[in-house]
Amino acid sequence: MLKTVQGKAWSKYLLSLPPMAYLLIFFAAPTLIMLFSSFRYPGEYGGLAPWLVQDGGQWTFDLTLESWQRLFGTDIYLRLFVKSIGYAICTTLFCMVMAYPLALMIARSGRKSRDLLLLLVILPFWSNFLVRIYAWMIIFSPVGALTRILNGVLDLFGVGPVTLMYSPTAMIVCLVYVHLPFMVLPLYANLEKHDPYLLDAAQDLGAGKWRRFWLITWPLSLPGITAGSILVFIPVLGMFAIPDLLGGTDGIMIGNVIKQQFMESRDWPFGSVLSMVLTVAAVAVVLLGSRLSRQRAGMSGS
Amino acid sequence: MKRVLSVLMLLFLASPVFAVEELHLFNWNNYMSAEAVAGFEKEYGCKVVQDYYSGTEEMMAKLQAGASGYDLVIPTQNAVQTLIQQGFLEKLDKSALPNIKNEDPGFMNRSYDPGNVYSLPYAYTTTLIGYNVEKLKALGVEAKSWAVIFDPAILAKIKGKVTVMDDADELFGAALKYLGYSVNDTDEKHLREAQAVIMKAKPYWAAFNSSSYIKELTVGNIWVAHGYSSDMVQARNDARDAKRDFMVNFFLPKEGAVLALDNMVIPKKAKNKKLALQCINFLMDGKNAAGLSNDVGAGNPNAAALPFINPELKELIAIFPDQKVLSTLETLESSNTKVRRLKNKLWTEIKLK
Repeated sequence: MLKTVQGKAWSKYLLSLPPMAYLLIFFAAPTLIMLFSSFRYPGEYGGLAPWLVQDGGQWTFDLTLESWQRLFGTDIYLRLFVKSIGYAICTTLFCMVMAYPLALMIARSGRKSRDLLLLLVILPFWSNFLVRIYAWMIIFSPVGALTRILNGVLDLFGVGPVTLMYSPTAMIVCLVYVHLPFMVLPLYANLEKHDPYLLDAAQDLGAGKWRRFWLITWPLSLPGITAGSILVFIPVLGMFAIPDLLGGTDGIMIGNVIKQQFMESRDWPFGSVLSMVLTVAAVAVVLLGSRLSRQRAGMSGS
Repeated sequence: MKRVLSVLMLLFLASPVFAVEELHLFNWNNYMSAEAVAGFEKEYGCKVVQDYYSGTEEMMAKLQAGASGYDLVIPTQNAVQTLIQQGFLEKLDKSALPNIKNEDPGFMNRSYDPGNVYSLPYAYTTTLIGYNVEKLKALGVEAKSWAVIFDPAILAKIKGKVTVMDDADELFGAALKYLGYSVNDTDEKHLREAQAVIMKAKPYWAAFNSSSYIKELTVGNIWVAHGYSSDMVQARNDARDAKRDFMVNFFLPKEGAVLALDNMVIPKKAKNKKLALQCINFLMDGKNAAGLSNDVGAGNPNAAALPFINPELKELIAIFPDQKVLSTLETLESSNTKVRRLKNKLWTEIKLK
């Protein structure tokens, strides 16, 4: 008996070994390399300068805090992070508000239509991300139908014309559009598992429609909301393609500045510094999210 | 068994047919004459496999990340300088390049590669301003100076209809020229002045855009765009072919501008250096070189190509600058880490505020 239990423990380790190794090799190790790079000097023609130099027969380390000092020496990078977090929060909230009714509707519909609806949610993934963004650029175009109709209506109320292209509005619309499925799917997975008898019981006990939602469905769906929020928040935080294509003259996010360090200014150490801060911010969000949902779960359990 | 053997035999026999020699070319997008490629493939019985990039940084990042297998690369002069310093390029065997005599001496022996040891000029573009002729005329905006994208008094008339390049070197270059400095000025005081010029003009611009200004100009979304001359030729032709009710044209600002000289180089890691040399020689033939100007609208550093180039194109001073205009143009030089850091900081400040 004991033997089989041990055998099971062994197989558990064996099974988790490949994913663990994968995470170690492709996440932990690169993160450490990046941390190390952030203390090195940039190479004169790109890349990194050697960190170990021979100086008159003596080997010395050639490392520096310069890049980190640059991060804290001015407030522009802090403001950039705040702005990016602002965009990420906005996008997550919009996704939440739009995804919740949709996920609920799908979870409560019949089995046949449910499969079709889920298929429709993931359908946009069939075409390339950039193609979809370019489609939005055509929709937002100043000479396009949408802008003209909108400005025509605004004109009736005596409000000046607006431009949709190259604006924060355009960015938020696209960020929400691209990330909506990542909120719908975990929410649906959660809502679909709810026991319908709970709602029946609440109804029998005299709870109205809204009360049933707030007391039963909402608290039970919190883990789904947390998972969806993390899946939306983190990619938005590091996004650079949408600000590049749709952002106006101040539509820049932290992802763009990181990209600049590795491309235009060929400054890998500073790029590593910014990436490290971004990684730490993302990990913090995940920890915060999981703690929040655990707390809530504990509260509703007690 | 017999059958397997015969199949294997057949494969062996067939293999020479499949083994057509391939030339892997890494070039700017929309920067090669399709006719010249077809001609080269036919003459040398090979296949040209093309891969494209849209920015120097993108190309450098790809090469530095270890991308090998390219036989021929077309980088701009400041990238050539960096690639030489990194020891990335193969010395060109001039004895295999008899057509070198066709190259215009004015574009040879430049400071980025003295004696053309590693590179030979391929084409050039200028960074200038493309504009919507009817709109600017109606608003009384004169198309002759960088003031069109930098002077708030002029910009007030075309607010939200202007894009500038999303490229720190190009935009600082333009602002420095507007102020009367060199595009390669590294003096922090001058760079800060240029930053101030950009900051004052920024509220009037719609976006920083290096990727889709051809389309925005031809559709009529944007009336003034800062970009490459070859792209503006395309925007002009596209607007004409689409029979728009306006014309797109372009001008070289009187203060001078950035000249980009693109070159043919062979990486040390190239697999088919012989074919790459043959291709360089083929492209330096006058008739083959002319295709680049006629099809793409690029300036041509090949003297033997001139008789084959469309005369209408040759008259455009912005594409084929005369000696006087040429003296106002400057090529970008590669800068050191300190200058790059400073520029990037100023650039991030511009983008954020």
